[in-house]
Amino acid sequence: MDTTNQSEPSRRIFIRKLSAWAAASAGILASLSLLRQFLPRQGGSRKRYRIGRKNNFPINTFTYLSEHQIFVYRDHQGIRAVSAVCTHLGCIIEKNAGGFQCPCHGSCYNGEGRVLSGAATKDLPWYSLHKDPDGRIVVDQGRLAGPGEKLYL
Amino acid sequence: MPADHTSRLGRVNRNFFLHIHAGRVHPHSLNPGYTFGLGVILGFLFVIMILTGLILLMNYTPSVDMAYDSVKDIVFVLPGGRFIRNIHRWAAHGMVLFSFLHMIRVFYTGSYLGGRSRNWIFGVVILFLVMFMNFSGYLLPWDQLAFWAVTIGSNIAASFRELTDLLGVTQVLDIGGFIKRLLLGDEFVGQPALSRFFMLHVVFLPVSMMVLMALHFWRIRKDGGISRPVPKSSGPYAEEEKLLTWPVVMWAELSILLLTVCVLMIMAFIFDAPLLEKANPAFPENPAKSPWYFLGVQEMVSYSAFAGGIVIPALFLGFLVSVPYRDREVRFTAEWFSGRTGRKITWQSLLCALVVTLLPVIISIRFGWLDAWLPGTPRFIIMLLNPATLAAAAYMAWSVRVGRQTGSRRMAAIALFSCAMTGFVLFTVIGIWFRGPNWEFFWSTTQWPVF
Repeated sequence: MDTTNQSEPSRRIFIRKLSAWAAASAGILASLSLLRQFLPRQGGSRKRYRIGRKNNFPINTFTYLSEHQIFVYRDHQGIRAVSAVCTHLGCIIEKNAGGFQCPCHGSCYNGEGRVLSGAATKDLPWYSLHKDPDGRIVVDQGRLAGPGEKLYL
Repeated sequence: MPADHTSRLGRVNRNFFLHIHAGRVHPHSLNPGYTFGLGVILGFLFVIMILTGLILLMNYTPSVDMAYDSVKDIVFVLPGGRFIRNIHRWAAHGMVLFSFLHMIRVFYTGSYLGGRSRNWIFGVVILFLVMFMNFSGYLLPWDQLAFWAVTIGSNIAASFRELTDLLGVTQVLDIGGFIKRLLLGDEFVGQPALSRFFMLHVVFLPVSMMVLMALHFWRIRKDGGISRPVPKSSGPYAEEEKLLTWPVVMWAELSILLLTVCVLMIMAFIFDAPLLEKANPAFPENPAKSPWYFLGVQEMVSYSAFAGGIVIPALFLGFLVSVPYRDREVRFTAEWFSGRTGRKITWQSLLCALVVTLLPVIISIRFGWLDAWLPGTPRFIIMLLNPATLAAAAYMAWSVRVGRQTGSRRMAAIALFSCAMTGFVLFTVIGIWFRGPNWEFFWSTTQWPVF
């Protein structure tokens, strides 16, 4: 008599705990399937795009391409492309005498994209360039390049 | 008007909406110099927000292509649309202002003490919801302010990367990127972000707010009405000396409602809610300024995104949430500034915060910061040591010192709260009036360079 009285509550507790855990894990698993609703795959931004021929870009000048938010720099040897998005909080930087400056919070970069002052913690990324078979220049934002690397023309 | 007490009590008890009040109220609760009616003003502002929001909602289209034009139609074509939008705008700003004032009132009167801690926590959550509601609301017009404010805001969330980069774990554990994508549904502010912010602003946040407000009001009733001094003599206040809710409280609330509506209407007649050019992802405004209540944070993120935008606000939030559990000195309930010592400490903290906030800011404006003295300073040192973090550290040191000297956690809390509020106001003032193009310092807008 005594033994049954003692064992019954513990069995009940066990079953209660088991069902609670089962319900909780089922709930978690079910909500994991909803994760895609909150973090959908991005379809929008293209990582590789054409920017036209070299003649679009004046020599020894940074040209801003507003569509892609990059600066393209061409000199006598070749061509390079740097991101125009401030690494601090994502505003579009402006070209100034020594390099770049962000209008939102004043971070400054030199002509190589290195942070000079301000709250930015990362240098501006330079993107790798190549030519497609037609001779048009392609920017590949998926591949980074060093600040000195040029596409020789 | 029913004449006898029983029917007056019944007037409140039988009505679902009036039952939010007790039948009788302590006279202290109606003292205008104690509450300033701030909570009631907030309640009415919220109702006004809902009503004007419903009207705006009928003519607004939440799509990237049409949002700006539909807001323009509301302002320039629909009769009265501009007026409704203005009321919505100023009521929203009013909610931010009065939420802070209400919190300041509740803090300095020690109203989170003595069993009211849970309601203080609900209040902190409501403050957060009010800020988030404003933040989500100003993406909707899809103008330049909207686009760049949300770009900056979502990148502040992403600035967790500054920490994970420093630890070298961003590839594995990208908290910042996760929050940003949760918020925007993409890497950039676009249609998914607009849809999400529309859902948050119109459904999720208002409904959460209603639930939280119901809890907030319910706790007031459960805590026995709003805070009042601990009675000197034992024994409850005689029921006969309390005031009847119907009609006394009703008159008080009606007059606050009329005053609120009156001020809002005048504001909406005189001042137009701004609508800038259509959002242009290629060029930000210069300077790109958020609405005034975020400019304090914007000033801090101009020193460091992670420290100023995440760490310091999180520390302040942590302080707000923990204060009723750390400070339990119930004898200070409902006493402004906790008496003479507290009043003195409030003034001292104000002065202390004024000095330790302005000093590093002035140095950084006049002489530049570490980059200017030691070019090539590692970026994480700037993240750790900048005017905002130095000021915050000084506030904490001062609060610890006050706590040691007085042996009272209430006094330490007053010191930290006063410093934080002063610092917040100072950074906001600098952000509003003394920052111009490229976030440089200017004494007045007339000195801004012309492009």
